[in-house]
Amino acid sequence: MDEARRARLTDWLRAATGDATLAIEGMALLSGGAIQQNWALDVSGGRAWVLRTDNAATLAVSHGRAQEFSLLRAAHEAGVTVPEPLFLCEDATVTGAPFFVMRRVAGTAAAHRVVRSETLGGGRDACARALGRELARIHSIRPPRADLGFLGEAPSDPCRAFVADQRAALDRQRHPRPVLEWGLRHLERTAPPPIAPVLVHNDFRTGNIMLDEGGVTAVLDWEFSLWSDPHADLGWLCAKCWRFGNDAQEAGGIGPRAALYQGYGQVDDARVRWWELAAHIRWASIAVDQAERHISGVERSLELALTGHMVPGLEWEILRMVEARDAA
Amino acid sequence: MLREPPEGPDLLATAREVLLNDILPAVPPEKAFAARMIANAMAIAGREAAQDGAWQEDATTRMAALASDARAFAAAIRAGRFDPGTPDHAQVAALLNDMTRARCAVSAPRALGKG
Repeated sequence: MDEARRARLTDWLRAATGDATLAIEGMALLSGGAIQQNWALDVSGGRAWVLRTDNAATLAVSHGRAQEFSLLRAAHEAGVTVPEPLFLCEDATVTGAPFFVMRRVAGTAAAHRVVRSETLGGGRDACARALGRELARIHSIRPPRADLGFLGEAPSDPCRAFVADQRAALDRQRHPRPVLEWGLRHLERTAPPPIAPVLVHNDFRTGNIMLDEGGVTAVLDWEFSLWSDPHADLGWLCAKCWRFGNDAQEAGGIGPRAALYQGYGQVDDARVRWWELAAHIRWASIAVDQAERHISGVERSLELALTGHMVPGLEWEILRMVEARDAA
Repeated sequence: MLREPPEGPDLLATAREVLLNDILPAVPPEKAFAARMIANAMAIAGREAAQDGAWQEDATTRMAALASDARAFAAAIRAGRFDPGTPDHAQVAALLNDMTRARCAVSAPRALGKG
């Protein structure tokens, strides 16, 4: 960020905080993807913040930051462990794109490290329990919410809404996907009854949850949140495809399923299992889309190309799950 | 023998060994992930080059016998025409298994180990 932008940012932060002597002492890019950037911001008075913004090139999706800020604020108010959202700037003339500022939290989210550690998050059992409590707090947020109006109308039947959404996604793809259709048809045949929708994080998995030795320090990546069945989040976390090889620990490769359920409270295990199959189908469909970004030339990337090759393994798992569920 | 041996699969496998044994230990930690991705891509390409592709024709024929083509086959699954209890259910389940096993043999052979 150049001097002029940094000066405008300082002025803006002074106005937002009411601290006329506020100074930015350090600013470093933490992570930058094609769409978002995260900057570590060290501010006078020992304030450690993160500035989250869009790359100037992607202004078309920039109102996403305002939505993410609203979700963080709702989650923070509900007691979810998230970085406290502080200030939102929708004026693109300050730094070149809308941004928000949140408190900086410490910890590690790296999935392969997390599933190998016996001590992160306070140990496997305690961590799974804590994840259950976090989800219960997220799910205490219920529609209608004027501040979350961008999420749209809540579905009257979240499970059937999921099947319809996934079919629409398959219809947008270049090739038919008979195995994903097979899984979706099974989900349709075995859909549990309608349930009152709640706020579902929708990407609550190992890799998106920051931990330190004491416990959960932050639930990250709220960009896929929607109104749905609360069991969708439990199923996504427990799905075998998100255990990062540590299959024995059914809650995300981190800890026991029973501890997760205990931390959560009231769980309908059959619904969670339905959503675990749903998770494999959704992840396979996302993987197809990611590979398509590479194949189409939108974003040539070895990582995206290899993500496509995860699809057959997910399909194999889907076939095995459907077979076992039909036989039961 | 018209092409000059060693052929693609051998070259990919040999090059991959060099990458993993000689290059990977020498790359800085922040590039190790990229090196592993390259090794993974070479393994997939090698298995694809070595696979007998006849299963694709066989699967296409079997799909066409059940519906007119792959797209109609997928649509028929969606419509419930091959649900449990229907005459073609077992045949469709077997076809999906065969196709997916062949796809995994290239992309994700480890998935089959557990199946």
